Amino acid sequence: MSHGEIAHRRSRTTRFGRSAKVAVLTFVIFAVAILYFFPVLYMFLTAFKTEAQAVSPALFFTPTLQTLRGVLSGTPMVGFLRNSLFQVVVGTGLCLLLGVPAAFALVFGKFKKRGTNEKLYVWFITTILLPPVAVIIPLYTWFQQLNLIGTPFGLLLAYVGFHVPIVVWMLHSFFADVPIEIIEASQIDGCSRFQQLIRIAVPLVRVGVFSAGLLVAVFIWNEFFLAFNLTGNTTATLPVYMARFREQQGMFRAQLSAASLVAILPPVIFGWLTQKSLIKGLTLGSVKG
Amino acid sequence: MKKQKTRRDLAFILPAIVIVAVMTQVPFLLTIVYSTLRWNLARPDMPIEFAGFENYLYFLRFPYFPEISEFYRIVWQTAVMTGSALVISTILGFLLSVLLDHRVPGINIARTLILGPFFVMSTASGVIWKTTIFNTTFGWYGVIASSLGASPVDLLSNYPMGVIIMLFTWRWLPFFVLVMLAGLQSIPEDLIDATKVDGTNWFQLTFFIKLPVISRHTTVAIMLGLIFIVKEFGLILVTTAGGPGTSSYNLPYAVYMQVFNASNVGRAGALATMTVILSLLAVTLVYRLVKRQAAIYE
Repeated sequence: MSHGEIAHRRSRTTRFGRSAKVAVLTFVIFAVAILYFFPVLYMFLTAFKTEAQAVSPALFFTPTLQTLRGVLSGTPMVGFLRNSLFQVVVGTGLCLLLGVPAAFALVFGKFKKRGTNEKLYVWFITTILLPPVAVIIPLYTWFQQLNLIGTPFGLLLAYVGFHVPIVVWMLHSFFADVPIEIIEASQIDGCSRFQQLIRIAVPLVRVGVFSAGLLVAVFIWNEFFLAFNLTGNTTATLPVYMARFREQQGMFRAQLSAASLVAILPPVIFGWLTQKSLIKGLTLGSVKG
Repeated sequence: MKKQKTRRDLAFILPAIVIVAVMTQVPFLLTIVYSTLRWNLARPDMPIEFAGFENYLYFLRFPYFPEISEFYRIVWQTAVMTGSALVISTILGFLLSVLLDHRVPGINIARTLILGPFFVMSTASGVIWKTTIFNTTFGWYGVIASSLGASPVDLLSNYPMGVIIMLFTWRWLPFFVLVMLAGLQSIPEDLIDATKVDGTNWFQLTFFIKLPVISRHTTVAIMLGLIFIVKEFGLILVTTAGGPGTSSYNLPYAVYMQVFNASNVGRAGALATMTVILSLLAVTLVYRLVKRQAAIYE
């Protein structure tokens, strides 16, 4: 219920007073929101400027696609973009492939020892707490010895290892909402565990699978620490490319903005499109506990 | 029959366990082992040998006694930047969610704008702020300051901690709003209506009813925020690079500098191990604190 309505009902303000209140509130909300988003908004604008136009911080100008096209053709950015896409698509796919059955078995599986499900679940959760600095030294030395720095597979393995627990965490609560009767009934009907998972459980929690996959995709796309330390020139991802702009004291702002636009637009759009399921997944995963 | 089923259930989990263990737990255990070794990557001629707690003592001792050693300063800096960002995000996050909990025209657009920075990668947000806002000649800060007749100072080198706390907050506040707004919207309307009948005013409604009711959401936001902010690295690297000197290092940044610039595996291992221990301690401590606060409300 909105505040305006309540205030109205209680104080019986005039119709004029109420719409004035809504107008002021709308203005305040949008002023705050635009100010908060301003750096990104301004970057979006600058991406459509030429380098010469970008020297002045004008908000009104003739937009051009020249800089964006330049960034997406000649520069090394395309290589980084391709690496990022590979990590996100393959990494997220593998995380779901490993994490969804794991979460399912943690909820419905039966193990020899009682309490195994609970223990394993807690184990997965605690790995989320582990900061990447805790693993970087051995991973770095391993990957060097195995020559994985020059291939995308080292980083990919690290990403899968770090993000499977997030899938397990988010999906655990979704699976827990599936009535066990449904699973038991399907068992009596002769469904194997695998069929139960694919035909019955996953369709019931597809919102959860979707939001977990999306969250992992955004995390991998934006991940910097591991990418920065575990890749070489040919395997680095977009966050590493963006970090290269740190030394340019205010130079090439149009180019920087165009590159940023490409780097941040996908997760921002994905995030916006799925706010609702994301909130649900995040809060269900933890508020319940 | 039963045994076979057990085994099949295990087969569902085992691949996940293996990859998670090999990529997180095993390297962490190895890091602890490394922390007890004398091992320098830049000196392959020197033997790798057991050094006991030498690497830990290197950071923990006070060589110039009255002066505080660098390690403690970095721990303090990490606590200050993480803690400040968390406190500001919690307070502003609640106020902003209350503001965004109104049904005005276009509210979804406003929510979307506030949420945006959460999805922006840390290195991109760092360079955007650095070049388009903080730059003293071309950035908005410089332009506005000059037009007001003031001479803009370089914020990044003069107030590195302030800048970093601000950027941490800018990036993580949306997450707090996301979670807390979900909490506010889950409050049953009956509850709000009931307070109306009692003649509760806006202030009481907001801080004595809504705030306690969403305490679970607040707890989630604070805990996840802490877990993520305490390992933040990219924002520091691209803005202040830990400087000037080491005045804006946090622990992850110090570990990074120890491995990749000093090449000292043993010391880096010790620093990484202490970082993990301190992070886990902080998480436990904050959890207890928040839980107790929430318990008072409930």
